[in-house]
Amino acid sequence: MIDLVGLIAPNILWILAIVIGGTLISISVHFIPVGGAPAAMAQATGIGTGTVMLAAGAGIAGIIAAGSVMDLNQDIGVVLGAAAVGAAVMLAATMIVATWIYAYGVGVMPVSAKVKYDPITKYRQDLYVSKGTEGHGIPTVAYVSSTIGGLLGGLGAGLAYYALMKVGTYAYAGVIPLEVHNLNLVGVVATFTIGFFFINSVIPSYNIVGTIEGFHDPKFKRWPKAAVASFLASIPLGIVAVIAVGALAFVGGL
Amino acid sequence: MEPLISMGVLALIGAAATIAGASEDLESDVGSQSNANSQVQLAPQMGYVHRIYNKAIAGEPVSNALMCTIGSTGALVLIKHFGFSPLFALVIGALIAAMVHGSYSVTAIMGREASQARFKQPIYLDLIRSHTPTIMAFAFLTTFSTEVVSYLMVYSLAHPFPFVLLCFLWGVVVGSVGSATGDVHLGAERQFQQQPFGEGLNASQSGNIVRKGESGLRNGIDNLWFCSKFGGPMTGVSFGMVVFLGTWIIVVFDPAKGVGMGWLSNLLGMVIVIVFGIWNWHIEKETRDKFGPFKEDKGEEA
Repeated sequence: MIDLVGLIAPNILWILAIVIGGTLISISVHFIPVGGAPAAMAQATGIGTGTVMLAAGAGIAGIIAAGSVMDLNQDIGVVLGAAAVGAAVMLAATMIVATWIYAYGVGVMPVSAKVKYDPITKYRQDLYVSKGTEGHGIPTVAYVSSTIGGLLGGLGAGLAYYALMKVGTYAYAGVIPLEVHNLNLVGVVATFTIGFFFINSVIPSYNIVGTIEGFHDPKFKRWPKAAVASFLASIPLGIVAVIAVGALAFVGGL
Repeated sequence: MEPLISMGVLALIGAAATIAGASEDLESDVGSQSNANSQVQLAPQMGYVHRIYNKAIAGEPVSNALMCTIGSTGALVLIKHFGFSPLFALVIGALIAAMVHGSYSVTAIMGREASQARFKQPIYLDLIRSHTPTIMAFAFLTTFSTEVVSYLMVYSLAHPFPFVLLCFLWGVVVGSVGSATGDVHLGAERQFQQQPFGEGLNASQSGNIVRKGESGLRNGIDNLWFCSKFGGPMTGVSFGMVVFLGTWIIVVFDPAKGVGMGWLSNLLGMVIVIVFGIWNWHIEKETRDKFGPFKEDKGEEA
């Protein structure tokens, strides 16, 4: 029989890390400029795909990078940095190519319909919005916002991944600790982190309802609601995850 | 592993990822999947009956993740249990995934078109016969290339994730990238070529997709022909960059050599993000200057 108290007690800090990670993911999604289906027709500003899918794509790139680095170096800063940068690089490579297609394939310039002047470049926006659309492409402010979102989302995913790896490799009483290279442990932790990422990127999509341009969008102000909801959702998730992954350590990683 | 060999493997991974990205986008163009399909779906309801293949099995990331997982699971079973050579097993795995994808495509178009019978949208059986093998061919290429990327990462670059899980993850990412980049070329340009070039789609024109082709009625293969000139290859470049750059920063500055190297690799990643940001800003400036505004400035004078 697995000692639940003995399992949860040394991992309270990591449960907290998972909860913070979930909240960070939730906040990060508001920063990412998702145009949804209208953006695919150059009808709305942002990247032309759905909120969850884009955030998950970036978060997963972060998890792949974090997993790769965690195997080589267990320093918390390096792993979290790799996750954040991995997600940001994925979004950057996607956005620059999307900008090529908007500029050279569709013939529209990146422009925001939510503000009159771009807060960063100070360029006039409203005159450049084509008729019957809500902006198009990825203007500089949206790019910067997306980078912040990628970094935060990657950080949240990295935090959850790192915490669960630590839970799995902890030396519990009477148990030989698992190695960080254990394939079952890595598989379970990565799968859980992805699920965790999906849950926490679905919650803010109720705030976003289809499209958001980034931190300059009026919808961005709704982020505290999603952050609280994600915080609350992450608490039971964190406890269940620690029990599941910790139990894996007790049975010797299968 | 020797840095030079790592770089060689990485180059191969980058090339495979580029093919995966390009074929993923073209598969979604010929079958009309993802966001741009909203217009194909809407067209009959607005009175524009069309001959475009209409399959949206799921969002592209999910659909590609399914294909890649089926393919890699099949391949792994063949390698581990039946002792097949990896190259042979990866091909058979991709073939299984393509067949599953083909069956999903047929059920998707049958269901979608049948549900639009009240709008007088016919089910073209010849369209299904001619397009489904093309869709399967691209699905095969995407799955095979993603399997190669994952296989090389796991068994050559020693990525800690299990092969099938990594293939699933790259499947989500390739769908996410393809949906965000290449589909814009189909949705904003090819489907609305009768609208003036250099504008986003006016919301009042929603559903009014081009239905006549160079010869006869336009179909999904006509869209494929157009998008393979720009949108498809660009998606390939995008996914190639995601896979290549994400791994390259770790190969150049190996975090195994110490915390300092780990931070350098993260710093290099941030430099890439900033360079792309400056490039994005430069294109914004260039297009604003060249294309000019759509409206005259009246508000500022008052």
